[in-house]
Amino acid sequence: MSALLNVIQAKRMVDQLRVEAGMERFKISLAAAELVQYCQEHRRSDPLLTGITASSNPFKDKKTCILL
Amino acid sequence: AAAQSRPSALQSGESLATLKNESDSLKKKLEEERAKLHDVELNQVAEKVELVSALSIRTRRVLKGHGNKVLCMDWCKDKRRLVSSSQDGKVIVWDGYTLNKEHAVTMPCTWVMACAYAPSGCAVACGGLDNKCSVYPLSLDKNENLAAKKKSVAMHTNYLSGCSFTNSDMQLLTSSGDGTCALWDVESGQLLQSFHGHTADVLSLNLAPSETGNTFVSGGCDKKANVWDMLPCASVSCRLYDLRADREVAVYQKDSIIFGASSVDFSLSGRLLFAGYNDYTINVWDVLKGNRISVLFGHENRVSCVKVSPDGTSFASASWDTSLRIWA
Repeated sequence: MSALLNVIQAKRMVDQLRVEAGMERFKISLAAAELVQYCQEHRRSDPLLTGITASSNPFKDKKTCILL
Repeated sequence: AAAQSRPSALQSGESLATLKNESDSLKKKLEEERAKLHDVELNQVAEKVELVSALSIRTRRVLKGHGNKVLCMDWCKDKRRLVSSSQDGKVIVWDGYTLNKEHAVTMPCTWVMACAYAPSGCAVACGGLDNKCSVYPLSLDKNENLAAKKKSVAMHTNYLSGCSFTNSDMQLLTSSGDGTCALWDVESGQLLQSFHGHTADVLSLNLAPSETGNTFVSGGCDKKANVWDMLPCASVSCRLYDLRADREVAVYQKDSIIFGASSVDFSLSGRLLFAGYNDYTINVWDVLKGNRISVLFGHENRVSCVKVSPDGTSFASASWDTSLRIWA
């Protein structure tokens, strides 16, 4: 019984490795360029990165209220 | 009962020996292929990117109320509510703006290691040493006993280490100390899919942000992070793994850091990585350049969980010091 389980496990491993071997891979230079591009494109909409004024951040302490 | 993925049929001539040979040669080929791709470092490609200007992030809220270590937290999509779970067996829903505790549930077990907010904001899921993940609908009636409406959804054979709703209230993804991850139908409690591949406890999971939400990553004690098509053991370093290059592209570590990182999350643009450590600090890393930008102090014990809010204006941290902090 355990011999059969070993074969099933080995077959599963080979199946998975075949899938991985068949995958298309990109060079880091290309993948890294895309990572940099994504970060740059979205940097203006990242409040923690750019910092936003206290008035637009509900967690930051506000200055005194102005009654209009 | 767990459903295992079926291996393909045995071909004639295949035996344990031939399969092992093929497995070894495929592994070697994969290593060679991956090495060929390492033509440059991420921080080299990012050389011309301007430095991150000084961050003015500090604690803006301290949420006190748990009686023991806070093990997990999650944000509600409304960007203001949070759910947290603790070793003391309690799950609390907080209003992050006012610090009000809106709901509290006492679990039948201690060490509630995982909790998650439903996308609708109408329920929370949690579990831990009870080996289950249960869903509690949140009632607007303060007098209603939440425990009465509790629904047991997931059943594992060891502790629940992580849980997350997929893109709806209908499906729950769980990770467990039994070495598996699983996808469940919340309404019926049925197991939809089971993910085997870790050789030890699975400690955490995270869904890829996407409309279809069908990819997630899990990290485990076997030091592997698996990416699954649906279809974290504290490590001293944080690593960035690019799926298209199929390899690690950056490592965030310093010799001065000797304690493990328990939890990480990215800022909205992906430029900043917030990592919570066992030395009570949170380190902010520049994802592209690889350097540490700042260290945030405040917690008085291990940081167990770190999550950026849905609109990216703040991030929350949970700690063994029994509190949660919101940073902005």
